Amino acid sequence: MAELRYIGTETPRPEAADKASGRATYIHDLQRPGMLHGKVKFSEHAHARIVRIDTSKAERLPGVKAVITARNTPEVRIGFLRDNFALKGDKVRQFRDEVAAVAAIDAETAAAAVELIQVEYEPLPAVFDPVAALEEGAPLIHERDERGRPVTSNRLPLTYRHDSGDLAAGRRAARHVVSGEYSTPLIQQCCLGTAGCLAELDGNGHLTIWAKTQIPFLAQRDFVRALADLGLKGKNARVIVPTLGGGFGTGLDTHAYEYLAILLAWRTGRPVKIVYSREEEFACLSPRQSARSRIEQGCDADGRLTFRHVEVLQDNGAYASWGATYPSVMMLPATSLYRVPNVHFEATLVYTNNTYCQAMRGYGNPEITWGLEQSLDDLAEALGVDPLELRLRNCNEPGEVTPMGLKITTCGLRECLERTGQKLGWREKRGAGRPGPGPRRRGVGLASLVHVGGGGRIYRSDATGVILKFDDFGNVNVLHGGVEMGQGLHSVLSLAVAEAVGVRPESVFINQTDTGTCPWDVGTHASRGAFMACQAALRAGAKARQRIFVLCEGIFPEEAERSLKALRKKNPDYAPPAFDLRAAARRENFELEGGTVTIKGAPVEPWLRVELSRILRGAHFREQGEMLTVEAFYDPPNELPDFERGCGNMSACYAFGTQGAEVEVDTETGEVRILRLVAVHDVGKALNPQTLKGQMYGALAQGLGYALYEEVVTEHGRIVNPDFRDYKIPTACEMDFPIDLDFVETNEPNGPFGAKGVGEPGLVPTAPAIANAIYDAVGIRIHDLPITPGKVLEALAAKDSCGR
Amino acid sequence: MKRYEYHRPRSLEEALRLKGADPGACYVAGATDVMVRVRAGDLAPTALISLRGVPELRGIDFGDVGRGARLGAATTIGEIAAHPGLREAYPVLAQAAAVLGSVQIRNAATVGGNLCNASPCADTAPALLVLGARLRLQRPGGHREVPLEEFFRGPGETCLARDEVVTQVLLDPPAAGARSAYRKQGRVHMDLAQASLAVLVELDGATCRRALLAAGSVAPVPLRLKPVEALLAGTRLDEGVLAEAGALAARTVAPITDVRATADYRRAIVGVFLRRMLADLRDGGARPARRPA
Ligand SMILES: Cc1cc2nc3c(=O)[nH]c(=O)nc-3n(C[C@H](O)[C@H](O)[C@H](O)COP(=O)(O)OP(=O)(O)OC[C@H]3O[C@@H](n4cnc5c(N)ncnc54)[C@H](O)[C@@H]3O)c2cc1C
Repeated sequence: MAELRYIGTETPRPEAADKASGRATYIHDLQRPGMLHGKVKFSEHAHARIVRIDTSKAERLPGVKAVITARNTPEVRIGFLRDNFALKGDKVRQFRDEVAAVAAIDAETAAAAVELIQVEYEPLPAVFDPVAALEEGAPLIHERDERGRPVTSNRLPLTYRHDSGDLAAGRRAARHVVSGEYSTPLIQQCCLGTAGCLAELDGNGHLTIWAKTQIPFLAQRDFVRALADLGLKGKNARVIVPTLGGGFGTGLDTHAYEYLAILLAWRTGRPVKIVYSREEEFACLSPRQSARSRIEQGCDADGRLTFRHVEVLQDNGAYASWGATYPSVMMLPATSLYRVPNVHFEATLVYTNNTYCQAMRGYGNPEITWGLEQSLDDLAEALGVDPLELRLRNCNEPGEVTPMGLKITTCGLRECLERTGQKLGWREKRGAGRPGPGPRRRGVGLASLVHVGGGGRIYRSDATGVILKFDDFGNVNVLHGGVEMGQGLHSVLSLAVAEAVGVRPESVFINQTDTGTCPWDVGTHASRGAFMACQAALRAGAKARQRIFVLCEGIFPEEAERSLKALRKKNPDYAPPAFDLRAAARRENFELEGGTVTIKGAPVEPWLRVELSRILRGAHFREQGEMLTVEAFYDPPNELPDFERGCGNMSACYAFGTQGAEVEVDTETGEVRILRLVAVHDVGKALNPQTLKGQMYGALAQGLGYALYEEVVTEHGRIVNPDFRDYKIPTACEMDFPIDLDFVETNEPNGPFGAKGVGEPGLVPTAPAIANAIYDAVGIRIHDLPITPGKVLEALAAKDSCGR
Repeated sequence: MKRYEYHRPRSLEEALRLKGADPGACYVAGATDVMVRVRAGDLAPTALISLRGVPELRGIDFGDVGRGARLGAATTIGEIAAHPGLREAYPVLAQAAAVLGSVQIRNAATVGGNLCNASPCADTAPALLVLGARLRLQRPGGHREVPLEEFFRGPGETCLARDEVVTQVLLDPPAAGARSAYRKQGRVHMDLAQASLAVLVELDGATCRRALLAAGSVAPVPLRLKPVEALLAGTRLDEGVLAEAGALAARTVAPITDVRATADYRRAIVGVFLRRMLADLRDGGARPARRPA
């Protein structure tokens, strides 16, 4: 593919018109004949034994079709540690625990019925702090493991550890050592489309479920297992993904509400839909996990990093979901952001009676980078070197193998750092202690990131498939198991298919993601969607071209001659150039571009250009006709890491980037105003600059929210701000500063068209860049996100009283 | 969603009659507070009586500054924010209206609803308090006028009787030399106030003849800061006085800690706002109110 026609062009996404005009069909819009509405009864305690559940009043309410509890349904265990249940039978371990569910003829009746369910609890001592939960005598969240053996501690049975080099030697070699403790809060993914599903069993006991998922095929596996629990062994689960109003990681696991919809559909024999309200989305869905980290690192007299020591404590909440696997990604920056030879990393995960957590964009990376990049600024200060200079001295380089065993193929970090510095006006502004108006002070800061850019193998297969189904009109219908959730996957995939096959993007149609029709995909996570889909598309496209060119050997000359005949009829004087069509019509001579087949080196004549649709129809309607369908399955060259030893090249390439912030701090009110954000990312290659920029702007807004505003506040395990009145995310009004976005194209050889994954990186270094700018402005360090004006004022007061 | 009987009376009399016939019914104007509470299950009225189409409650009567202004209770916040006469004569009110909610909310929300909802963070309340607003209350067969200050009784509580509606907000003409301003702080732009402050000063040069101050989100009701007003009356607004006033304001308010801010933070910013706003007003930062003709 010498010259790219579509990849790299600013192209509007195909689904934009339907979304903008309200035609897109979200889970909320779906209706099925006879459909019932499900509603969940949640726990009223953080930790309590369930003594009695009285559902009789709810059952008597007209319009109620089923009320289910753990006592009248088979046990359905969920979660990768099998420590959770669709319905809780013996005790509740968090406020959002599902104790019953109702199916009724409409949503109001279901809600009213849930209110009528009476649950008697015997409260148990609860623990909400992970440190306290590790102490001897702390209440046990789980008394038994999956196999019923007694458990003695709240520590999760998961080990994440990395040791490389010689830490003691690294310490001895250090001239300067800094350390600090940092924390990041629970935050909500804040999908504008709340969670929901619609489950339906057919007459043969097979399930179809429309689900808000990012993992249709792993969900299929989970649901098939649940069907077996219901006695429907061997039955299929078909997962269909409607238009999604955001994912951000919420769809990486299956959720109790999905199993409840299945149970209710099974019990009633009717389709059942459950959709969460915004309050339920906040209070009953799994947010981003909070984390505490202790980071220590040192450098020699020249500023070369000699060691890094990172310890993480994570409040896992009551059950294990993917929040419990953040350390698998935390290891990346801990071991591999900048070059550091001797590293210790260890993460401890603890059950508490808080809400359990799930994936969110960045997946552990922002949590560590938050502290790591502030600590680097501290180290630069201890050494007396400019923070940008310190980073450049320790910059990752192409060809490097990091302590974790990450094979850095391409690396644009140096350029990202330098360009960010230039764009920020670093030389003039940094350390200048610039006053703003009145009691306001200005400063600049920056921070970088490394993240998986070529898939992230966390499962036996990191693969994806693409099927290209051609029709009589020259259209290519694409079946792909990845999930479009607003990020622009379908836009990039249609460009890649167009490029790979040689048709116009307008002729490419991406079908709905459906496990019944699409080839397997591990899930749309780890910034892998576009990377994997495009790799598979390239392979499928190459196969399609081969097949098309074989068809052309017979069909092209016939079609061309037919055109010639028509041409002569219109213009009897036309004399075609001398050209041996039959001899030239060999598979290796054909070219397909923009949906038209030509012969390389042939004279440029209209009759020697044949539309792909004519070739396809020619193949279809001849005797022993055939339709063209090709498939490709792509598994990237990466390794499943050993997380207990903390090594393994988990991605086929790595994404880098640097962000810079210029801020103005009001020293009297503590307000932090962003004057400018700069983001320079190594994206390998911009596949569709328009969707790429969209990903980056959106990520920066989320990064800003993480930095300044967002926190799910809990009191004794109860979430007290479960709505947008009390939980604030940035709106357009907050994004009122210039954003200087730039891309470094390193042309990754392992990437499709040279691209790397870019879905997550945009929000990883935003908060530490802002924190470092605040330090530059007023000399305070906020260690605990979010950076609220109250915390800024407190830190300023503490600094003043120290100074005195 | 539960369905409600929805009445659209065309006159004040009809509205009062409907309410009299169904005491469990609830008046709504913009419904931006009512529907939030209904959906949350905090309010379960038997019916809704819309005040939007009641002519007696509509309109801004502001022909002549010398007579002051009458705002129909169902005037929208957006209408107030955009009204050139009000912006000129009562900057504090127009500024408060301009930062209430979002464009969509301001198009629906009304001043009467904002006051009757009686939230400690209601944005128009501090502004109207420093303007010495009075409310005209109508009941079947009679009416009365109450100073806004006596209207608020506690969070969500007013002196409004069950059978009364607010028909108008009455404002005196601006005093000579009056300058006023409103400042609100939220966590983000569209937020309820962490703290807010309305300031009105009547100035003779740099001397403050009279000051009226009211703060939001710092007490169970929108709060007049009378000790600070007393401190400022008759003083020259020099830096020392401003600092003292700021410190006293911080001590005068009685905020609580919630998800939006801590009590300490609320205290701190009220003091800062007062200092800054007084300095701005003294230096002519906010447009002075036009003199009565
Ligand atoms: C997203 C959002 C953002 C918001 N932001 C803000 C903000 O920044 N600042 C702020 O102050 N408020 C805010 N609010 C609250 C609300 O918009 C205001 O309080 C608004 O002014 C209420 O007016 P309304 O006409 O909608 O009142 P309604 O909801 O119609 O009524 C409120 C109460 O007043 C009663 N009532 C209304 N009119 C009369 C009358 N004439 N006589 C007697 N009783 C009456 C009703 O019975 C009800 O009890 C916000 C609300 C939302 C939903």
